[in-house]
Amino acid sequence: MSVEPATESETSTQSREAEGVTRPLREIELRQFLESLAGALTFISLWQLAAVAVGRTYLLPSPVEVITAFVTELSATTTFTIPLTSVSLPATRLTANLAQSLFHYIPGLIVGSILGISLGIAMGWDRRLDTALTPVTRFLRPIPPLAWIVFAIVWIGIGHGGAAFIVGIGAFWINFYNAYAGVEGVSTHLQEVAASLGIKSDIGMVKKVIIPAASPSIMTGIRTSIGQCWMIVVAAELFGAPGVGFQIINAAQNLATDVSVAYMMVISLVFLVSDGIFRRVEKRILAWRA
Amino acid sequence: MSSKVAVQSVSKTFESDRQRVTALTEVSFSITQGEFVCIVGPSGCGKTTLFRIIAGLEAPTTGAVSIDGNQIDGPGTDRGMVFQNYGLFPWRTVRANVRFGLEQQELSDNARQTRVQDMLSLVGLEEFADAYPKELSGGMKQRVGIARALAVRPEILLADEPFGSVDAQTRDNLHEELLDIWTETQKTILFVTHDIEEAVTLSDRVIVMSANPGRIQEIVSVDISRPRSRSDVAFGEHVERIRRMIGE
Repeated sequence: MSVEPATESETSTQSREAEGVTRPLREIELRQFLESLAGALTFISLWQLAAVAVGRTYLLPSPVEVITAFVTELSATTTFTIPLTSVSLPATRLTANLAQSLFHYIPGLIVGSILGISLGIAMGWDRRLDTALTPVTRFLRPIPPLAWIVFAIVWIGIGHGGAAFIVGIGAFWINFYNAYAGVEGVSTHLQEVAASLGIKSDIGMVKKVIIPAASPSIMTGIRTSIGQCWMIVVAAELFGAPGVGFQIINAAQNLATDVSVAYMMVISLVFLVSDGIFRRVEKRILAWRA
Repeated sequence: MSSKVAVQSVSKTFESDRQRVTALTEVSFSITQGEFVCIVGPSGCGKTTLFRIIAGLEAPTTGAVSIDGNQIDGPGTDRGMVFQNYGLFPWRTVRANVRFGLEQQELSDNARQTRVQDMLSLVGLEEFADAYPKELSGGMKQRVGIARALAVRPEILLADEPFGSVDAQTRDNLHEELLDIWTETQKTILFVTHDIEEAVTLSDRVIVMSANPGRIQEIVSVDISRPRSRSDVAFGEHVERIRRMIGE
């Protein structure tokens, strides 16, 4: 038996379309790039003009002053002591602060995401668990992560542990709801197909059907929390945990607003890089999606 | 001849708060090993409900279905299923879709690989083994569906309007291919369709159902040698006869 896909009238048209639109697409992209560039330059110019008009750095630092502060922070040498150890590494002020933030951002994000995804899948799959826990999750959900600082203080203390705790709570809810919604949305048809092909246990069904089918939603949760958790990091550091957020407040209290804004830029840059990397990973993992 | 599939006085009533709907009443028939049987009928005749009961996806209100004398309760790999909307796992390649059922069985990796390869060549999709479902046409998707269902070596193949979503030309090709596969594997096939010509093209017997309530109206034997041609007089007579029964 042979197959000649060319004779089938509904062969995928994707490749043909892609070829046909390459050229105009590039022109559109170029125009869009120029438009974006124009927007950015206008913004920076207006900012510069406004700063010059204001004339006081602590009220409104100019872009030039911010960049200068950024470069200073990036080059001023210091040492970074790895938390929980006595190992010191050479660093610059900026990289040391960033490393401090990452020391609670990353563990909080990972642990919170894993717990949130696990509970989301469990509740999305098991109706009894869902019914039993929904009142609790509904009640706790509206509480902003930062409010849990109370327990961070009395249980762990302000520092990496406390900040990671707050970040983890933020990551937990975002991932919980995305995983939950993803699992709820899995078609019963695919589950029937799997059952007809010999899947008998709940674990088998969750592993082979539910998780892969819910993976786009789960990935969206992870990506959202990567961004949201940076907001939480800054907020958590307001209470004194070391890191980029702390520097923003610290510099502001010294009226070094240019340094504050330089650290604001750091957060933005780190977010853009991590989001960009994750989007690539996501695209690869979800290559099967139409 | 002992029966491969025995459907005994199957009835199905769906109950909601407001009403009771009788989808099937007292449906009984049997299929012998290696037979190709189609179920046709107008919409609402309960053919899909009957399919789901035989598949084990739905329990009958009364009556029972047995395969080789064993009463079924739930889906199982003794029945391979093919669906109108394919039911492919979009995150799996063609190869991995075909392998799905084999992963649930105690088999060596080698045995699995060989079986998948055999199935892909049976449906002529070796070249598309690494494609994702989104890259395939409807006809190709359904070939994957058939290969996946047959990979676990089911006793019977159950198909619910499997070619309902493909164009006429592709459907004709798929009919030929399915008949080839049937000859090659000697499987028992139960095929649900609303297309009378499709039923007459494919089957040894056609179970004609009618609606309100869903029941078997008549079972028609199609004694026309294969390959069958639609322009054949006997073919036309069978189609006409079934069409009159259904009242189309």
